Amino acid sequence: MKTITEFMAADHVACDNEFARAEEAALANNWSVAETAFIKFRDDMAHHFKMEEEVLFPTLKSAGGPAGPVHVMLMEHAQIKELLKQMAEAVAQKNAKSYGGLSETLLIVMQQHNHKEENILYGMADDILANEREALLERMQAV
Amino acid sequence: MKIASLSPDQAPPIGVPLRFFAMAPVFLVLAALLLATGDGNPFANTHSPALLAATHCITLGFMAMVMLGAIQQVVPVIIGSQMPSPRLVAWLTMLPLTAGAILLTTGFALSKPELLNLSWPLLGLAFLIFISASLFSLARAAAKNPTRTAILLSILSLAGAVTLGMLMARGYATGLSIPYASLATAHISLALGGGVMLLIIGVSYQVVPMFQLTPNYPKWLTTYLAPAILVALLLSLIPVLFEPAPRWPELIAEIIFWILTSCYAVITLKLQSQRRRRVPDATLSFFRLGMLALIAAALFSLASLLPTAYSDHLRMLSVLTFLLGFAMSVIQGMLYKIIPFLVWFHLFRGGVNAIKVGIPNMKEIIPERWMWWHLKLHVGTLLAVLLATRLDMAAWLVTLGLLLQGILLGCAIFTGISVYRDTLGRIEQAST
Ligand code: HEM
Ligand SMILES: [Fe+2]
Ligand SMILES: [Fe+2]
Repeated sequence: MKTITEFMAADHVACDNEFARAEEAALANNWSVAETAFIKFRDDMAHHFKMEEEVLFPTLKSAGGPAGPVHVMLMEHAQIKELLKQMAEAVAQKNAKSYGGLSETLLIVMQQHNHKEENILYGMADDILANEREALLERMQAV
Repeated sequence: MKIASLSPDQAPPIGVPLRFFAMAPVFLVLAALLLATGDGNPFANTHSPALLAATHCITLGFMAMVMLGAIQQVVPVIIGSQMPSPRLVAWLTMLPLTAGAILLTTGFALSKPELLNLSWPLLGLAFLIFISASLFSLARAAAKNPTRTAILLSILSLAGAVTLGMLMARGYATGLSIPYASLATAHISLALGGGVMLLIIGVSYQVVPMFQLTPNYPKWLTTYLAPAILVALLLSLIPVLFEPAPRWPELIAEIIFWILTSCYAVITLKLQSQRRRRVPDATLSFFRLGMLALIAAALFSLASLLPTAYSDHLRMLSVLTFLLGFAMSVIQGMLYKIIPFLVWFHLFRGGVNAIKVGIPNMKEIIPERWMWWHLKLHVGTLLAVLLATRLDMAAWLVTLGLLLQGILLGCAIFTGISVYRDTLGRIEQAST
């Protein structure tokens, strides 16, 4: 049985791979590939955020987890969503320069965010929610 | 629990790091001017006043300036522990460091003991405040990760290097008879092999995987490398401080030191070659150039251990490739990533109005083309460094290269700052 940290960290890696593929295609002005890859990346990110925002974070909070860190994570999700929105515009306009600048920015925000989750928040969740882990992971995958 | 590292306002105000970053390129220009006004070829003689002056422009005025700014930015974010009174600490370190570095370097260049005597207390003050503030914040840090250990060891080595530097500067100024040669060896090893090396290693653990999506450094490396390097370094200094002692332990320790640092360079290059993000990136190229230079510095130093007539020459080349090739490449590459990110990050905090006004993305803050020009200029400067100890012409090219790099970097940083100011102005206008 995977821990929450292992499961979610693997999902981060999967999203990173989508990110890299979309960026490479966009900078090469290969827009048919870039568009498909970007949509996949954006949808996978949306799914990942849903797992956190609708299942993991609320469960953690109601089990007595700290509210502050969760709040910070949600603020960073908002930043990331805004950047993704701007990237979608760049894809629509086939603007490689703008896409490259935005994806550069997104990468750092996203990596710092994932780093904090993997090293702090998910670990807390694994501790506090140890007993209900299996059910929790199922619920997360179902969203 | 390590909740501390998730508080929303970990980052200090943007003025804290930018103040240091904006001052740093001025010292590259000053280094070039001091080299240009020295007699003959300053690289031909290790103790030439112009070289000593230029070295400290680069180490104190440029490198320490950027590192102090970066540590005050990075420690709160990576380690999750605030610096005490960030603005005050920034001013109280930046001003005496600037004044002290100018006095020390002009004191060396003009051989004026009065200036040296004014410089060392100021530098001591700057480092005392900086070191106490960072130790305070590192001690409180809940996260005990390898980066924290490496930064801690780096700061302790720096404390040792600065103490010896002050002692020698005071000695030069007042004509004390102290063993300068041994003290200088210890000073240089602690400053470069400890302070600079360990800080870059600690920061690499975080930024190499993050910027290029490379695999992480192996766990055995992040756990043992920084402490092992420091132990090798200290062992190599024991015979220096307790003369007369047999020379072989020093030799073995020095060989181990260079093997460990080359391991770091080779592994970093290997991780970077496995990166999942494969788009061109100036920071990445600066970083790889730095790793190649570190391997070259190791080879020069190892070759200098052989009993040949070129020993002194090779040692000098090793110090130069370490400073200008390794440290300066990595630092400049990092600046080109950190400054655009900080500008974006602090503007994004403008909230709804910021989004309405439209904030520049990271590539609209410092033009990417400038970064690539700078890389080429830097490679050219480094090629000249390889010949500078022998050819006067090459020494001139190094001087010119430093001058142009200082100007280019200065323009880049001021462009970043003015983009920040302009956008901030527009955000404030939109909110009234
Ligand atoms: C309070 C600050 C410092 C003072 C007062 C100081 C002073 C000195 C002095 C007096 C020497 C001459 C030694 C000799 O050859 O007799 C020296 C050499 C040297 N110092 Fe410093 N130093 C300081 C900080 C630093 C730092 C922070 C670094 C590097 C990060 C550094 C790097 C070097 C190097 C590389 C040399 C050899 C230069 C050469 O041989 O041309 N110093 N320092
Ligand atoms: Fe998240
Ligand atoms: Fe996540």
